[in-house]
Amino acid sequence: MDFAILLVTVLPVALRVMVPIALAAIGEVFAERAGVVNIGLEGILVISAFFAVVGADAFGSPWAGLVAGVLAGLGVGLLHALLSIYLKGDQIISGVGINLLGLGLVGFGAVVLWGSRSFQVPNALWVPGIPVPWGSVSPLVIVTVLAAPFTWWLLHKTAFGLRVKAVGENPEAADVVGVPVERVRLLAVLYGAALAGLGGAALSLDWTHTILNTLPAGRGFIALAAVVFSKLNPLLALFGGFLFGYFDALAIQLASAGGAGEEGQIPYQFVRMIPYLATLIVVAGAIGRARFPQAIAQPYRRE
Amino acid sequence: MKPLIETRGLTKVYPDGTVALRDVSLRVHPGEVHGLLGENGAGKTTLTKILSGLLPPTSGEIRWRGEPVRFRSPREALRRGIGMVHQHFALVGPFTGLENIALGAEGGGALGPLRASTVRGRLERIMDESGLRAPLDVPVETLPVGVQQRVEILKMLYRDVELLILDEPTAVLTPQEAEELFETLRGLKAQGRTVIFITHKLKEVMEITDRITVLRGGRVVASLETREATPEKLSTLMVGREVVSEARRPRKATEPGEPVLTVRDLCVRGESGLRAVDGLSFEVRAGEVFAVAGVQGNGQTELVQALTGLRPFQGDVQVLGRSLKGLLPGEIGALGVAHIPEDRRKMGLILPFTVAENSVLGLQRFPRFRGALGRLRWRRIYGHARTLIEAFSIQAPGVRAPAAALSGGNQQKLVVGRELSKSPRLVIAAHPTRGLDVAATQYIRDLLARLRDEDVAVLLVSADLDEVFQLADRIGVMYEGRFTGIAPADALDRETVGLLMGGLPLEEALRARARARGSGEGSP
Amino acid sequence: MSARLGGLRVLLEVGVALLLGLALGAVLMALWGYDPWKAYQALFQGALGDRFGIANTLSRATPLILTGLTFAVGVRAGLFNIGAQGQMILGALVAVLIGGLLDLPPGLHLPVTVLGAMLAGALWSLPAAFLKLTRGVHEVISTIMLNWIAYWFTGYVVIAYLSQGRRSLQVDPTARFPLIMAGSDLSYALLLSVLLAGLVYWALWHHVAGYELRAAGLNPEAARYGGVRPNRSLVWAFLLGGLAAGGAGAVEVLGRLPFAITNDLSNLGTLGFDGIAVALVGRNHPLGILLSAVFFGALAAGRTMMGYRAGVPFDMIQIVQGVIILAIAAPEMWRIARLRPRRARTPAAAGPAGTGTEGTEGGEGGERERERRQA
Repeated sequence: MDFAILLVTVLPVALRVMVPIALAAIGEVFAERAGVVNIGLEGILVISAFFAVVGADAFGSPWAGLVAGVLAGLGVGLLHALLSIYLKGDQIISGVGINLLGLGLVGFGAVVLWGSRSFQVPNALWVPGIPVPWGSVSPLVIVTVLAAPFTWWLLHKTAFGLRVKAVGENPEAADVVGVPVERVRLLAVLYGAALAGLGGAALSLDWTHTILNTLPAGRGFIALAAVVFSKLNPLLALFGGFLFGYFDALAIQLASAGGAGEEGQIPYQFVRMIPYLATLIVVAGAIGRARFPQAIAQPYRRE
Repeated sequence: MKPLIETRGLTKVYPDGTVALRDVSLRVHPGEVHGLLGENGAGKTTLTKILSGLLPPTSGEIRWRGEPVRFRSPREALRRGIGMVHQHFALVGPFTGLENIALGAEGGGALGPLRASTVRGRLERIMDESGLRAPLDVPVETLPVGVQQRVEILKMLYRDVELLILDEPTAVLTPQEAEELFETLRGLKAQGRTVIFITHKLKEVMEITDRITVLRGGRVVASLETREATPEKLSTLMVGREVVSEARRPRKATEPGEPVLTVRDLCVRGESGLRAVDGLSFEVRAGEVFAVAGVQGNGQTELVQALTGLRPFQGDVQVLGRSLKGLLPGEIGALGVAHIPEDRRKMGLILPFTVAENSVLGLQRFPRFRGALGRLRWRRIYGHARTLIEAFSIQAPGVRAPAAALSGGNQQKLVVGRELSKSPRLVIAAHPTRGLDVAATQYIRDLLARLRDEDVAVLLVSADLDEVFQLADRIGVMYEGRFTGIAPADALDRETVGLLMGGLPLEEALRARARARGSGEGSP
Repeated sequence: MSARLGGLRVLLEVGVALLLGLALGAVLMALWGYDPWKAYQALFQGALGDRFGIANTLSRATPLILTGLTFAVGVRAGLFNIGAQGQMILGALVAVLIGGLLDLPPGLHLPVTVLGAMLAGALWSLPAAFLKLTRGVHEVISTIMLNWIAYWFTGYVVIAYLSQGRRSLQVDPTARFPLIMAGSDLSYALLLSVLLAGLVYWALWHHVAGYELRAAGLNPEAARYGGVRPNRSLVWAFLLGGLAAGGAGAVEVLGRLPFAITNDLSNLGTLGFDGIAVALVGRNHPLGILLSAVFFGALAAGRTMMGYRAGVPFDMIQIVQGVIILAIAAPEMWRIARLRPRRARTPAAAGPAGTGTEGTEGGEGGERERERRQA
């Protein structure tokens, strides 16, 4: 019975947890539609989380922090785009490099700025929540929920979205009619990176209120799993983000409710495994293979 | 008359030193249909890619209406009014016809909403004017190839191109569809547009063009009015020497022997889940060439995949009495079946692998190449590779060179040589001379004929009617997964085969031909 | 291009990447007021300055060789197996279990422990293989999830059952690798790593299964047609990779202090992920990996000295590594892409539309070749 209540009380937390995963996933859906894969989401999350704290700290405002996070995301996105679109590099290797870079950069930066590998974000810099009957809701949750239909509209109802899809399916065809393939891909990647940047900022400023170099704890990859689950549909990516966020939140609540005195109390470490197991199961069960754009992960060269 | 577009001294050299075009000067007049003729590798596609903005020239100039221009992208060329329909259509498969045509010219800013109705309205007008119709609201990948081509042309008309370049447009059409295309082109000409028509088919160039430029080895060898040209003259210009007879390879004296390949009620599902092969039955006997003709896309690829173990199938397929059901490619190979794949780069070779490594692809588990514990016997493998190089006159930098370093013709020879080193009883050759120059094409065709003479059963799949008529003893024409007719090659001529390719069943096609001949139509 | 020139070019590309990484590291250090020259001097000192430094370098290189092999074998088979971290962790766990809890005769204890650890790694690679084969799950996602699961699981076992203070119980002396150099960390585990690298080389280039694995990795379509079963090659690649990663766990726990696993698994560090950098710099070739592992081993060995003498936090090394990988990403693909036909998602069926790649018309040549010949 307690368990049922737990399942419900987790919801508000799940919404908070959903934000970084869903934002990164929605953004990545857009980028992958254009044919560019970014597995460096983990790196973007941690780097933008870091710069969000730095920005908030510097200007004394959480909003400045959010902006800083988005900008950091854009910066990393630009790097990835440069390497994979213009320099025709391997997109997956570039993502791996970004992840490693993020680990090092944030570890180094934290020590340099605050003298320790992790840092607690002071209350004043937390993103304020909007009061609602059952507590408060972060404005970022609302942004996330809106991001999905907006991205869907962008993809399916605008000329730009048509170009994005074209560039992912058959860049040669797009080139022939004069669509600037590389530029469209760049913009798509930047869009995705900006959303992920916002997600990273939410991670540090809105939810955990800490920053350390392993903050994302694999959520960047969980976001990728959500992308697979979504079959490149932004709305499903939001749902996927929520689903995975829910498991994540469940694990956190269970872990902190350690002394609940339930019979057969699950060890802390097993609880922490839940999000990863859940991700595996969901991805394995994703009905039907997703149809990815034909030209995905292939740099375009005019012949 | 001032030319619409001309090039002066156009040269294109690739970074690795290949000279694709050498000092090419071309002159196309407004309102004409200009033929660009040449064999594979002569430089036609490179030239038109430069004209349409896809590639930059190394030197030389292009003049549009007398003014020098420089195109840095297809967009710039389009803006001037030059549009190209490529051999591999530049269409986005899952998009509808409307979306494909609208892409890049959506009628609003990039961020604006899609103005579908505006685009549609204009398209309706264009379709009425030109007589070209195509469905606009289905994904183009579901459309037959001939219709896809129409979408491509409409795409160009929508952008009001003055110069339309078509690259080997009839390669994917039945003879009847090709006629329809020619009608369309005449209509465009009447509208005052200009067309450059690339082909290597002499008959076409004689029929539809006003003037012809012949390319050979990257140079212009002739530029003449069509009415002054003859097929023999053109063909000599194209090839540069006495034209090799296109006649039939002499049939050997003895009759074909026992059936080597027997196929009954073969059904194969294609990528999309639909039946690509729908109840095919035939046999190929030792010492005969059975050619499967037909426009690509009617199930030939799936047929070959089924026969070579790359795709599951229903029905009964036997090679020398052994069923192929459920066998892996390697196991089928062990039965004595050799396969020359339709795409050597994708299926026949592993390009980063060395020549030696490629020479044993499919043979790697043979005892002569595999020693104790599965160890590879490299000395034997190198020896084998060298033997192939000698026997098939393959030009390669060495056995350790990557296969990618070989030219197309030599790559194909490597594949063919390797396959034949299995001493097969049945050879399945899918478009074996596609994209090869004349010398390599000759070589391969001679080889296939020789195999036939040595009592090997040959199944030839080809969209090239010349090739089919040169080599085939019997012809089966495929249309939508079935044979519209199987007959000895003697009983058929190109026109009849054309009708069969278009879906007409055999009896009707023969009757139609008889009638046409009776009324004096049709070429002798 | 002759083979020799090609090799020279590769060396150049790698060299540039390494320099770029170090240069950027220097810039960052300078920006934050550290002395990059002093830092790199300390790094060099710590890594190669004296006998003990070199021994330390080689000792640190030992597990990296193995995790590098894990990733490299995967790449050769066309996979992105980044599960070395998890496989290594489980290998280390099994090594501690067999090495610390079981009592075996001295001659047997070490080999059995090592084998057990390798098997553990191999087994942990199977879920990812299974998911890929049956459900088409991309291994990048599955292996990362498995990494985390292994991390938490091992943490649990260590804390709940094996803990002795801040770390697990230690491995028996009979299960430890004998030292090559007294007073150092360098053990004969290095030999094992080198032998395994040699074995992988032989397997890939002198064995039929390796040939088929490489074929499947470069061109699954042509390989299938050449009688290769790509699925089988895939499983072999995962298993081999898992064996190597498990071996890395064994080598770390049985060859170096503290001969145990710390409660937070910190002594296992990021060996798995470092292996990716090692493999990339080593061009996914066993010989290159040996050299590359020494380089990264030097970085790892020198970083404590760097922190000690110049006060630079060791995360800097990770930054350097990240930049090196990014620098490698660009030229590598360019080189491979010129040779490899683009892998079509669907077989080149009829209808050129939508495939966008070579597809029909003989698909002549790669990028340049095709232009040339399709003229």
